[in-house]
Amino acid sequence: MTDATFSSRAITKRPIDWWRWSGRVFLVFLLLFTVLPMVWMVLTSIKTQFAAMQYPPQWWPAEPTLQNYARLLDPSNSVGQEFLRYFWNSFYVALTTTVIGVVVAVPAAYAFSRFRFPGRTFLFFSVLLRNMFPAVVFLMPLFLLMRWLGLVNTHGSLILTYLTFGLPLSIWLLKGFYDNIPIQLEQAARIDGATRFQAFILIVMPLSSPGIIATSIFSFIGAWNEYVYAYTFLSKQESMTLPVGIQRFFTEFATDWPGLMAATFLMSVPVVVLFLVLQKYFVRALTEGAVKN
Amino acid sequence: MSTVTGQAAFAGDPAVSPRRAGLLRRIVNHRADYLYVLPAIVVMLVVIGYPIYYTIELSLFKTPPNLQMKDKIFVGLDNYVTILRSASFRDVTLNTLIWTAGSTLFAFLLGLGAALSLHREFMGRGVLRALLLIPYVVSAVAASYVWKWLYHSDFGVIGALAVQFQLSDRPINFLDNLHSVLPSLIVVNIWKEFSFAMIMLMAGLQTVPDQLLRAAQVDGANAWQRFWHVTFPHLKSVSMVTVLLLMVANFNSFIIPWIMTGGGPAGASDIWITQIYNLAFGRQRYGVASAYSVILFIVMMTLGYFYVRALTRGDEARAG
Amino acid sequence: MAEVVLKEVVKHYGAHIAVNHVSLTVGDGEFVALVGPSGCGKTTTLNLVAGLIPMSGGEIHIADRLVNDLDPKDRDIAMVFQNYALYPNKSVYKNLAFPLQMRKLAKPDIDAKVKEAARVLDITHLLERRPRELSGGQQQRVALGRALVRDPAVFLMDEPLSNLDAKLRVQMRSELKRFHQDLHTTVIYVTHDQLEAVTMADKMAVMSGGFLQQYDAPDMVFAKPVNTFVAGFIGSPAMSLVPVQVVRKGDAVWLRSVDGWEFELSAENGHKALSATSDKVVLGARHSTLRIHKSAEPGTVPGRVYIVEPTGDVTFAQVKLGASIIIVSLDPHFPIAPDEPVFVEFNQNKLHLFDGETQMALAAA
Repeated sequence: MTDATFSSRAITKRPIDWWRWSGRVFLVFLLLFTVLPMVWMVLTSIKTQFAAMQYPPQWWPAEPTLQNYARLLDPSNSVGQEFLRYFWNSFYVALTTTVIGVVVAVPAAYAFSRFRFPGRTFLFFSVLLRNMFPAVVFLMPLFLLMRWLGLVNTHGSLILTYLTFGLPLSIWLLKGFYDNIPIQLEQAARIDGATRFQAFILIVMPLSSPGIIATSIFSFIGAWNEYVYAYTFLSKQESMTLPVGIQRFFTEFATDWPGLMAATFLMSVPVVVLFLVLQKYFVRALTEGAVKN
Repeated sequence: MSTVTGQAAFAGDPAVSPRRAGLLRRIVNHRADYLYVLPAIVVMLVVIGYPIYYTIELSLFKTPPNLQMKDKIFVGLDNYVTILRSASFRDVTLNTLIWTAGSTLFAFLLGLGAALSLHREFMGRGVLRALLLIPYVVSAVAASYVWKWLYHSDFGVIGALAVQFQLSDRPINFLDNLHSVLPSLIVVNIWKEFSFAMIMLMAGLQTVPDQLLRAAQVDGANAWQRFWHVTFPHLKSVSMVTVLLLMVANFNSFIIPWIMTGGGPAGASDIWITQIYNLAFGRQRYGVASAYSVILFIVMMTLGYFYVRALTRGDEARAG
Repeated sequence: MAEVVLKEVVKHYGAHIAVNHVSLTVGDGEFVALVGPSGCGKTTTLNLVAGLIPMSGGEIHIADRLVNDLDPKDRDIAMVFQNYALYPNKSVYKNLAFPLQMRKLAKPDIDAKVKEAARVLDITHLLERRPRELSGGQQQRVALGRALVRDPAVFLMDEPLSNLDAKLRVQMRSELKRFHQDLHTTVIYVTHDQLEAVTMADKMAVMSGGFLQQYDAPDMVFAKPVNTFVAGFIGSPAMSLVPVQVVRKGDAVWLRSVDGWEFELSAENGHKALSATSDKVVLGARHSTLRIHKSAEPGTVPGRVYIVEPTGDVTFAQVKLGASIIIVSLDPHFPIAPDEPVFVEFNQNKLHLFDGETQMALAAA
C-alpha cells in the first residue's frame, strides 16, 4: 500500500507543470464564476434598499444590516407571516413527497433489481422514459385531472405530481443499490429459515439504507425547488410554496432587491445544508447507474 | 436487452407463437412479483398515461378559451399545420437549438475541465467540489433572481464591473437586448448545471484503471497522449449519458427563461417550452399548445431512446 | 441423516437448458462432489436442490420427501456460499444465531448452540466481530458454522473454498473432509476444481453442458472415463487426447495419425477400435502410462520434445507428435532437452479409446 502511493507520487513528482498550472488557473476561474454571484447575493441582502440602488454600486455595504432577514423571519409582521407560511408549505410538501416516495419506490426498485418477470424490461424503460418528458407537456392535462379530483389549490396535487415525477429516478437509484447487494445474502437467509419477505425486511432493508438516504435527499431537493406545477396548481396565497411565493413577494415589492436576495438566500439554506451534510450520498445518487465499470 | 425481452413480451410474430403459451404461464408464475411494482405502476398510469393520451387527443381539436372541453371541435392535423406554418416557429426552434446546444456544450466542457483538474488529490479538493456543486443544488428560481439582479440594466454588478474595467462606457443592458439576451441566459444555465457534468465525469474518471495509465506511461505516452488514448475512451459512455441528460434537461428547462425574461424581448429568448406555456396559459389555445407538446414529445422520445441505449449497455451482461 | 434423490431434473431459462434431465442419488451420509467447468449447470443443480430457483421439470426428494414445492426454509438443508454470504450488518454471533432465531428457538438454546458451534470451529474469540473484520479463512469458518448450528439433514456447498488462497485452501480441504468424517452428514459439494472433488468426495458427478456425464467414485471416474470430456477434465495434467484413424492390415488393427505415424494395437484394443461407428477414433493416454525412448523401437511412434517442465518430484514433457501434443511424466533425472527427437511408447493395457463420432469410450464387444 505505502509502496503504491509512494510510486504514484514519484510519478507525479516528475511534472509536466504546464498541465497542472492550467488546471489550477481553470479551477480558480470556475470558483470565481460559481461563488461571486452567491457572494453578491449575500452582500446585497445586507444592504439597505437605498444602498443597493446606487451607481456605481457600493462594492461593500457601507452600513451592513440584517434588517431584511429580520423582517422575513418575524412572524409579527405581515411580510414575515407570509414568508414563514411559504416556508412551511414547501417543507410540508417536500417531506411528504419524500416519505411516500420512498415507501413506494423501495419495493418497486427491489423487484426491478431481483426478479425476471415478463414485461419487466418494458416496465422499467417506461419508468425511465418518464425522465424525458417536459413538465410543461403534462401541465394542462394534469391541471384538468387535479380539478376533476378536486385537488386544485391543495398540497395534495403537488405531492401526487412530485411523487410521480420523482418515482422513476428514485426507483432507478434504489435499483442500483439493490444490484450491489449480493443475492446470496437473501438466499442464505431463506435457507436459514426466512421467508422471502423476512429476508427482504431483515437482511436487505438495513443494507440499503445508504440508498434510501440518497434517494430521499434527491426527492426532497427536487420537491423543494419545483416551480412549474406549484405555479400552475396553486393560486391561493396561503397554500403557495416558496419558489412561487417569492415571485409574489417580488411583484409586491417590485424594486426591493435586498429583500428578494435575503429571501432567495433563506430559500436556499435548507437544500444547501442538506446537501453539504449528506454530500457523499448525494454524489453517489447522482452518478449511480450512469457510471459502470 | 430491450430487444430480447421485447420479443418475449410481445410475441406477435407468428414465428415466436409457440412461446405464447409459455408467456402466459410465466406471467401466472410470476404473479407475486408484480405486487412489488404495482403501487408504482398504478400511480404512473394515472399521472403519466392519462396526460399523454389526453395531450395527443387534444392536439387534434380546436378548443374554446374557457376550458369548456365539451365544446371542442375536431380539426384533424390543422393544429400541427398551423404551428409548422407560423412565422414564429422557425425563430423559436432556432432559439431552442441555440439554447440547448450552447448550454450543453459549454456545461459539458466546463464540467470536463473541472473533473480533470479535480481528479488529482490535493488540499481542499472536497471543499472545492462541494462549492462548485452548490449552484446545481439550489432552486432555479433562486438562481434566476440572483442573476437577474446581476444583469440589472441600471444597478447590475456585471455592467458596473464592465465600466470599471473600461470594457464599456455605460452599464450594459443584457436582458433587454435582442442579441445579448439568449447568450446571457445560457450563461446562467451553464452556471447552474456545469457541476452536474463535473460530478458525472469525476465518477467516470475513477473507473479508469491506474494500471492502464501506468502501462501507457511505461510505453512512453505523454500526458496528452495518456488522456487521449486511455482516459478519454473510458469516459465515452459516461460522456454520452451526461450529454444526453443535459440535452434533455435543457430542452425542458423553463424556469430560467420564464422568470428572467418570459421569452422576451420580442420573442428573442422564446424557446419551445416557454412558447407552449404562453400558448396554453397565456392565450388559452390548448389545442395548438397540445400539438406543440406532441412535437416536443417526439423529439424527447428520440433522445430518450439514445439515453436508454447508452444507459443499459452495461445492464445486459448483468441481467444474464 | 438423509438421502437426496434427483429424478430427471430439468431447468431451462427460455431456450437455454441449464440442467438437462439429471438423475442421481446421493446416499445417506455420502459426500458427493458436483464437478465441471463453469457454466456446466452444477451450481444451478445445487440451487434447485436448495429450492432457491423453481424447477422446470423432474422431482427432487430429500429424506424420502418430495420437496419440489417446498420453500428452502422447509427443506431441512444448510448451505455454504462461495462468497460466504455472511450478513455484513450482523456480528458473527448474530450471524450464527440467525437461522435459529428464524426457527423460533428459545434464547438459551440459541446461545448454547451458537457457542458449541463456535467452539467446534475454533471461532469463539471472533463472536463479537463483524464479517468485514475477519480474514477469508475466518469468514469461511463462520459460514460453515452458520450451516452447522442448525444440524440440517443435508449440507449444500457452493465452491466454498474457491475464494481462499492456495495454502489455506489445502488446509480447509482437509478440515472439511475431517468434518464430514466426524459428522457423517450428507454433503453435496459444487466445485470446478477436480482435485478438490477427487480428494474429498465419496462420489463425483461430472457435469458438462447441463448433462450429467458420469457419476461414480473418483478412482472409477479416473480409471474409466465414459467419454472424452470426462477423460480430458479429470486428472492433472489432463489425459492427452489424439484423433487418429483405424486401419486394418490383414488381421492386425493399426492406428494411424494424419501426421503419418502409426502403431499396431493389441488384440483387445483392436476389437475396441473396430466397434467404433466409423474409422475415426480418439486415442487417450495418461502421462504416467507413456514411456519415452531415445531410439526407435517396435511399437513406438516418433515425436519431438516441445517443452520440459520440471516440478521437483516429477518432470513433465510435452511431446509433439506431428500437430498433436501429448504429455509424458518422467523421472527428474531422465536426460531430455527441448527439440530433441524422441520415440513414445503407448502402454496397451492402459490406453483409452473413444469413438471419434460419439466421443464415448469404446469397450471390448
